[in-house]
Amino acid sequence: MTEKSKFQTVVREIMATSVTRVVLSILLGFFFGGIFMVLFNENVVATYSTLFTTPGDTFVAAFNTIVDGYGALLRGAIFNPEGRDLVAMFRPITETLRMAAPLVMAGLGLALGFRVGLFNIGGTGQIVMGLAGATWVATRMELPPVIHMIVAVIAAVVCAAAWGAFAGFLKARTGAHEVIVTIMMNYIALDFFTWMLRTKGLLLAATGGGTPKSDPPAATSMLPTLFGDMYKIHIGIFIAIAATFAYWLLMERSAIGYRFRMVGHNANAARAAGIKVESTFVWAMAVSAAFIGLAAANQALSNPGGITTSLNADIGFDAITVALLGGNSAKRIAAAGLLFGAFKAGSPAMQVVGVSPEILGVVQALIVLFIAAPPLIKAMLRLPEPAAEQKVVA
Amino acid sequence: MNIITRNSAKFLSIAAVAALALSGCSAAAAPELDYKACAVSDEGSWNDKSFNQSVMDGLMKAKDELKVQTADAESNSAEDFAPNLQQMVDANCDITFAVGFNLVADVNAAAKANPDVKFVTIDGWSEGNANLKPVNYAMEQSSYLAGYAAAAYSTSKVIGTYGGMQIDAVTAFMDGYYYGAQAWAADNNTTIKVLGWDPAKKTGDFMGDFTPNSAVSKTIAATQIQGGADVILPVAGDQFGAVSEALDEAGSAGVMIGVDKNIALTSPEYADKMLTSIEKRMTTAVFDIIKGIAVDKVDFSGDAYLGTLANGGTALSDSDKITGDLKTKLDELSAGIQDGSISVRP
Repeated sequence: MTEKSKFQTVVREIMATSVTRVVLSILLGFFFGGIFMVLFNENVVATYSTLFTTPGDTFVAAFNTIVDGYGALLRGAIFNPEGRDLVAMFRPITETLRMAAPLVMAGLGLALGFRVGLFNIGGTGQIVMGLAGATWVATRMELPPVIHMIVAVIAAVVCAAAWGAFAGFLKARTGAHEVIVTIMMNYIALDFFTWMLRTKGLLLAATGGGTPKSDPPAATSMLPTLFGDMYKIHIGIFIAIAATFAYWLLMERSAIGYRFRMVGHNANAARAAGIKVESTFVWAMAVSAAFIGLAAANQALSNPGGITTSLNADIGFDAITVALLGGNSAKRIAAAGLLFGAFKAGSPAMQVVGVSPEILGVVQALIVLFIAAPPLIKAMLRLPEPAAEQKVVA
Repeated sequence: MNIITRNSAKFLSIAAVAALALSGCSAAAAPELDYKACAVSDEGSWNDKSFNQSVMDGLMKAKDELKVQTADAESNSAEDFAPNLQQMVDANCDITFAVGFNLVADVNAAAKANPDVKFVTIDGWSEGNANLKPVNYAMEQSSYLAGYAAAAYSTSKVIGTYGGMQIDAVTAFMDGYYYGAQAWAADNNTTIKVLGWDPAKKTGDFMGDFTPNSAVSKTIAATQIQGGADVILPVAGDQFGAVSEALDEAGSAGVMIGVDKNIALTSPEYADKMLTSIEKRMTTAVFDIIKGIAVDKVDFSGDAYLGTLANGGTALSDSDKITGDLKTKLDELSAGIQDGSISVRP
């Protein structure tokens, strides 16, 4: 077994994790997250000095901290019974949906790449190139409403797809590993976009000085909000739902998807069966990045302030965890996106009760670790397949 | 949740009494005042030893001395501003401080959407919202003194400055620094070179963000040191580690000028490299605003507060590197700026 195919086996096994194990990993993630929360909470730390005389204090403080912290997460992400009016009470769930939309879009894209055996770490770069395209259309072109928005979304998708396809082309042509290529291309994209934002006549705001920031996107190009000024949630969530359906159609019901999966399963067999593996790599990277481009459009066209590089909001990396959690199923990717969207929406509420939001990053990382660890450890220790062992015994 | 918080507060105070002799880590007591003051940070953390921290110190001082309740949220990116502000409204904050110019659009939107909640914008402005109080500083005044001192202290007669972003709250420092240095040159019939900012052309060196001690920051500092600068003023929160490294790597005996807080005190490890600091006393302003409303029961007003040399909102830190004639001269200049006989932007 070569190193590369082993790497792909690991990714494939991670993607094939059963729902039960995913749910267990999530529960374990929250459990250990709670331990971290307790260890570093100042109320609990204050009871350490009396840990051996009145251990009850420590346990009560620890319990309260966990209830406070995860309670705040629920209040910030789903429903806030303490809200001042009904609008405020229901705001959290709309925020979760709003934050989840780009994670779902980008998660679908990365999952598609993984299933073709391409470990696309270039989500950030592809989002940033998408941002560049959308920003150009949204701030430098004048078009009628709706059409302007559609053109801006298409620009984001095309720019991101082209950036992804280039990485695929380098892999197909030169054999350069896509992990290295896409990571490096992230920096090129970030610096390129910053340069465009800094340069007068390109994307720099008309009133801007030395700060890399564009004009606000034209009103005609913005994604319309669903409830007017009441909530921030916009039609991005419907685009995410449509993207989930499109992903399912493409991967499960189309000939292209079949070819993608075949190359991902065994590139050599696919080649023997007459599939052009190299061009499939290029196309798969392009389609993968196209989904990520949707996330870019979502970010650029929903922010009434100017557009900056920081709007990529690390979605390119967060979406990797979404894709690994979501595995091979479109529905599961959407569910994973919702979970991490809830994390993003709930983190300010956790800060307010004094729990550092980094805890959520720890929980997120732990969940992925629990899912990814078994295949990884197996590959690292070169343990034999349990199934193969059984066969020998039988 | 309130009950739970009260419970943990109760247990905390029991523990605090028990641990009284042990350490000072459990000094917090139960808040008593029915007033909640909150703050949302600019990009960067509360313990940046500079801009954000000054506000947090004010909030903590109000918590300790006035016993008000507090809540706070850090913003990791511009995307966090609006949700964090919304969170403060939902947490029933009586007043919320939005720290930094970058939050100006979001805090105005929040003030407009919640007319019964009070907001304060530091370095921002109000777009006609009566429930939003702008807190601004005439940083060019104290920076003028710093520029004069830097020019006098420099042996190469080349000094440098750079900013985080090219926004008025940053360039005010750089304007004052530039003109103060030129004033020293005029007084001594010589010339001084200021790297990194040209107030006439409005061009200069900027990092593009406020990332603490970033590689970009160090590169700019190293370039200015290479250009001969031996006094450097970085106007971007905590960049003193980056400048200090750049100075050491170049083998330069140069110094830097702190911003926002007295950096020689907040980061004693750099004390021997600090010429002085240009203090922007946000801690005082935050504390005074909270105290005014919560304790003295003064009605909230949307009128802008402007910190100047005259009202002590801004000043140069005391420094053992600025003594004798130079100190006397700086006091004269300060008096001149306060009575209007000296224009800091000629």
